Amino acid sequence: MTRNAWGQEVLEGVSWDLLPVFFLAGVVIVIGHAVVTWVLSRKAKAE
Amino acid sequence: MSSSDRIVRHHLSDRVFHWVQALCIFVLLGTSLLPVLGVQFSWVMIHWVTGVVLTVAVLFHAVRASFWQSLSSMWISLRDIRTLWRGRELKPGKYSLAQKTVHHAATLITLVAIVTGFVMMVGIDGPFWERDPYFVSADTRGLIYVLHGFTALFFVTMIIVHIYFGLRPEKLHFTRAMIKGWITRAEYQDNHDPAYWRDPGQASGS
Repeated sequence: MTRNAWGQEVLEGVSWDLLPVFFLAGVVIVIGHAVVTWVLSRKAKAE
Repeated sequence: MSSSDRIVRHHLSDRVFHWVQALCIFVLLGTSLLPVLGVQFSWVMIHWVTGVVLTVAVLFHAVRASFWQSLSSMWISLRDIRTLWRGRELKPGKYSLAQKTVHHAATLITLVAIVTGFVMMVGIDGPFWERDPYFVSADTRGLIYVLHGFTALFFVTMIIVHIYFGLRPEKLHFTRAMIKGWITRAEYQDNHDPAYWRDPGQASGS
């Protein structure tokens, strides 16, 4: 957000502070999938 | 392995499109996010020219997919939804539900990036046009910048996930198909239902 010449709040663009959030979201999905797949494959082998 | 054991999954033009799109997105992300991370360079021209190249590639793909390929192979059907709880009991056609979902997400993000990118291009001087800073209102311009920025952020997540799945052992044949064009007949029989993706014919060459 920024302010225009009349002091009103206007959108300026996306906050780049969100970059680590989206990066971490990707990492969490990858790790989550890898762990779930590993657990399920161990379970399937045990059965 | 003889060529009769290979089945065409992606024709050369489709593979070239995929890798051109991938290269464009990496350049677009590099030119937009590196300055955010403190690497300063003259990035604007590289960014918009790459965006135009991506737009041409997407138009090519849209025309080819609409008239030379089967759009229904990418459509999410009720059968695809049923695979969520019936798993490998129901084999997909050419593309799985996950692949279709990723395709549609990438399509949406790319189209938003292209449309907002072209509006933003009106605000800068180019070789064939002069900038018009009043093309859209300040509020709309802010919204355009927010949407364009979000496409970059979504692509960061999507690329991480896409590369991960492309490198998983059980998915490597899909990655090989995107490089060399073919899968083996055994991979076809193991992963696809011929009723929903009929044998597209043998691959030639390597």
